Amino acid sequence: MADYKAPLRDMRFVLNEVFDVASLWAQLPALADVVDADTADAILEEAGKVTARTLAPLNRSGDEEECQWKDGVVSTPAGFPEAYKVYGEGGWVGVGGDPAYGGMGMPKVLGAQVEEMLNAANLSFGLYPMLTAGACLSIHAHASEELKQTYLPNMYSGVWAGSMCLTEPHAGTDLGIIRTKAEPQADGSYKVSGTKIFITGGEHDLTENIIHLVLAKLPDAPAGSKGISLFLVPKFMVNADGSLGERNAVACGSIEHKMGIKASATCVMNFDGAVGYMVGEANNGLAAMFTMMNYERLGVGIQGLAAGERSYQNAVEYARERIQSRAPSGPVAKDKAADPIIVHPDVRRMLLTMKAFNEGGRAFSTYVATQLDIAKFSEDAEACKRGEQLVALLTPVAKAFLTDLGLETTVHGQQIFGGHGFIREWGQEQLVRDVRITQIYEGTNGIQALDLMGRKVVGNGGTFYKLFSNEIRAYVEAADAALGEFTNPLKAALDNLDGLTEWVLGQAKQNPNEIGAASVEYLQVFGYTAYAYMWARMAEVALAKQADDEFYVSKLGTARFYFARLLPRIHSLSASVRAGSESLYLLDAAQF
Amino acid sequence: MPDYKAPLRDMRFLMDEVFDYPATYAAIGAVDATPDLVGAILEEGAKFCEQVLAPLNRSGDEEGAVWKDGEVTTPKGFKEAFAQYVEGGWNGLASDPAYGGQGLPSSLAMAIGEMVAAANTSWGMYPGLTHGAMSAIHAHGSEEQKQTYLTKLTEGRWTGTMCLTEPHCGTDLGIIKTRAVPQADGSYAVSGTKIFISAGEHDMSENIVHLVLAKLPDAPAGTKGISLFIVPKFNVGADGEVAERNGVSCGSIEHKMGIKASATCVMNFDSAKGFLIGELNKGLNCMFTMMNHARLGTGMQGLCNGEASYQGALRYANDRLQMRSLTGPKAPDKPADPIIVHPDVRRMLLTMKSLNEGCRALGYFTAQLLDIAHRSPDEEKREEAEGLLAFLTPICKAFMTEAGLEATSLGMQVFGGHGYIREWGMEQLMRDARIAPIYEGTNGIQALDLLGRKVLGSQGKLLRGFSKRVHKLCEANAEHGKFKAQVAQLAKLNQQWGEMVQQIGMAAMKNPDEVGAASVDFLMFSGYVVLAHFWLQMALVAEQKLAEGSSEKAFYESKLMTCEFYFKRILPRTAAHQLALAAGSDCMMQMTPEHFAV
Repeated sequence: MADYKAPLRDMRFVLNEVFDVASLWAQLPALADVVDADTADAILEEAGKVTARTLAPLNRSGDEEECQWKDGVVSTPAGFPEAYKVYGEGGWVGVGGDPAYGGMGMPKVLGAQVEEMLNAANLSFGLYPMLTAGACLSIHAHASEELKQTYLPNMYSGVWAGSMCLTEPHAGTDLGIIRTKAEPQADGSYKVSGTKIFITGGEHDLTENIIHLVLAKLPDAPAGSKGISLFLVPKFMVNADGSLGERNAVACGSIEHKMGIKASATCVMNFDGAVGYMVGEANNGLAAMFTMMNYERLGVGIQGLAAGERSYQNAVEYARERIQSRAPSGPVAKDKAADPIIVHPDVRRMLLTMKAFNEGGRAFSTYVATQLDIAKFSEDAEACKRGEQLVALLTPVAKAFLTDLGLETTVHGQQIFGGHGFIREWGQEQLVRDVRITQIYEGTNGIQALDLMGRKVVGNGGTFYKLFSNEIRAYVEAADAALGEFTNPLKAALDNLDGLTEWVLGQAKQNPNEIGAASVEYLQVFGYTAYAYMWARMAEVALAKQADDEFYVSKLGTARFYFARLLPRIHSLSASVRAGSESLYLLDAAQF
Repeated sequence: MPDYKAPLRDMRFLMDEVFDYPATYAAIGAVDATPDLVGAILEEGAKFCEQVLAPLNRSGDEEGAVWKDGEVTTPKGFKEAFAQYVEGGWNGLASDPAYGGQGLPSSLAMAIGEMVAAANTSWGMYPGLTHGAMSAIHAHGSEEQKQTYLTKLTEGRWTGTMCLTEPHCGTDLGIIKTRAVPQADGSYAVSGTKIFISAGEHDMSENIVHLVLAKLPDAPAGTKGISLFIVPKFNVGADGEVAERNGVSCGSIEHKMGIKASATCVMNFDSAKGFLIGELNKGLNCMFTMMNHARLGTGMQGLCNGEASYQGALRYANDRLQMRSLTGPKAPDKPADPIIVHPDVRRMLLTMKSLNEGCRALGYFTAQLLDIAHRSPDEEKREEAEGLLAFLTPICKAFMTEAGLEATSLGMQVFGGHGYIREWGMEQLMRDARIAPIYEGTNGIQALDLLGRKVLGSQGKLLRGFSKRVHKLCEANAEHGKFKAQVAQLAKLNQQWGEMVQQIGMAAMKNPDEVGAASVDFLMFSGYVVLAHFWLQMALVAEQKLAEGSSEKAFYESKLMTCEFYFKRILPRTAAHQLALAAGSDCMMQMTPEHFAV
């Protein structure tokens, strides 16, 4: 297995050369003071070091050792507690946190790069800080000042960790039917009781306290999703002076045995009259979750990219070293018994597919992150609104498309290794197992597709969609003719997506099943088209600089591969969308 | 975990109604294989697989095969299950009666094999490898070798392996290093290290017969210098029973992603006593004679995992309540509707169903070809079957295993978070399915074999052998009241298929990289067209049965509807493959190796 090397060159290319994020920061007062190009560069450099040196070496061993549960106590694999300490002390958990409570205050677009490195180095480990950062977002956005003062600083600094407790045995996608109850107490607190499952980081030995954010219902709450409230439930009570008090009535009943992310503790959490504090308003708990959901979902998409990047690094090294059979056009390494397998067209097809998806995904997730930053930090109401709408539109695409491609990419990376790809010690199969969860959790990819088509496209009559489509069209129209080899197919893809969107808007009026029937393939057509936009923008920069550096030649070659061999997938997917829902409903349940 | 229920109805549909196995069995002289006997055998096989093998699948995965000091212990129950399998007569079902087999058609053995691998893929590897070794000995061994080894293998007292791969070579066997030095007594001393040897060592049988590829000291370089040897774990005494241990041992076993109960061994040969089988330097040819069979078997594993996953997903989709249907509540008395009401869940289930049943048709058609090719008295029929087999085998192996991976991944997805948890069994199916696109020649190698050796190598003749059948089917049904649209869709793709080959052929004359650049997309395109052909064929039969007033209305209607789904929602995938391969090799070959990591 190759050592992980953070792809800093490509990150800088995307941040500085394609999107020029430093200019954006300079325009946003909240960011102008905390970050500029040099600071950003130093942060990337340091994140590259800590992830490669401290976290990556624990990835294979973590998978083999797994988390262990005994009598309610969870032990993480060897090295994890020490690594979490290093990571927390470096300020990385709070990289996007509010400086008023000890966070670093960095824009999401930088946080996104840190998340990629974190997850590429060690996806299982990465979940602990990511869940903590997610809990912090909710607390920061909705909790009282007192709760913020009490909990945020220790969470940002890695002294405490967080968890999000949503799912119950009978309710995952459908949170409206949860059963966990919260009884109001005389002192203004609540007693929370119920069972939560699939709680990542619910119990572990990394930190001295764990802060759970729990969805529960008040005794008199309305039925369904409008009767859910959010509560902060600490594992250990916190005294007035900030020291830890007694154990709260929350315990880990067991952990799951999973396909992958085995070093991440996935816990059954039992709340038995545990003391909790309401975060945000009563019955508004789901709304409080939604504020962090865009961040989390982009983060999960980035996990897909991260696993793909790690797999690619291993696969390239292997393809250049492994010798097997001769090149079709004649021997290349005549002094050896066979040629390195990178000479074979099909090995190149797999590598280039991985490379094009990874780099396209890096650009796209960075683009979405800049929109999150604009939405959060811009003082121009128009720009803010536009940012919010683009975020709403693109987040489900980022979550589902990047994770779908993460699976495809890691499967290719495994295939390049032949039989060795199936053997655990080589590391490639772990990446497939680890990435497979990202299509499922944080809202399955089917749910993302419904969100995109139902709420984000049809729900506003295509207004959000127009924003994105118009931006691409303006770009295509303004582009130099020399860029035609990229912008012409981009324009054709956009025309196709426009047409498909029109079609979907029309169909949805007639039959609500059409939304669910077309949604997954529609999301994928959307994704490939968005990546085409990214690849055109990257090619534009690379075309101008190709004489300077082989990096740009490689970028152009990959862009050409994307347009020639991957973008055509939209034709199949579009035909499938247009086939409609009818053929899905011919069979009754018994005929399956 | 999903209970396995053998899909006997669908198997019989193909064997009796679509492909008319009874006629073939009569024609090849398999007089014993009457429909009644076949029915009884399938029923019994289903019972064994459902009741004995399936319950060992999850526990086998958790326990894994365990290596200690050169000994390998299989998971609890495996050994006993093998004994039952042997006692039931399953091992020699299709073997030569001259050496103790029952001589039934190999297509029937394949149907049993489907149930075995669907119930427990890992367990199925042990008899599977044994059957491979038996075929090789039967085809190439001397009479003495057959009497010594084949009888015991058929009886199930001994098992077999195939030892090909070495640490530095898998695909490229021309560079193997294992040596065989001739001895005065006519035997050979075999030395070298083999890896990835399935069932190389285990506790299920009293002896293990290894078939080993090795080179003589003076052998020509490359693939033309490889010979095949029989190397038993225990030497065989004059009485035909096991004697002293031979110089072969298991150095370790691999820790794998899946098929964990199948022992994947590093085998060390240290001047082990071996016996040449077949001609000197013709070892690869000996392997090739059994390759069609083995590759169809691997393709079937894809289907098996997909089938098991579908059964689990379907049950869950009917039980799990979550959200309301978009068109209004379907289970108003419950807190939510079963998830099978949701269109996207149906999309996943129907994708699995249409791929599984389409692949089963391809597999059963190909198995019938194997019977004809091996046993038909009619030379012309044998030749035709050989041609179709050459063409379809790489498609079976690669397309069916790709479909298996997709289906098992979808099956997990239907389960949501539970799909990722081991105790539910769905993720194991995906892990087990993942090996099939890799071993027995990676799918990339299958694609090269299909496009390079088979299609272009025959100047398109092998493709025409199949596409003319498609043409005939389309022509005969061009004006069919119900399937007109599907027929037109298939006819158009059939034409594109031929044109595509011409274009690639032209391009390949100028640039040999064009073949490898197009091959995987060509294979996938071919797979979708081949499945469309079989779906149409199945739909025509179903339509006819309904017209005849069959009492199994639901079964046949389900076939028609699944066919419609396949043509509308799956077959369009051909467009992306066609466009991708039409883009040619330039965009793949221009970058230097350094450009991949700058």
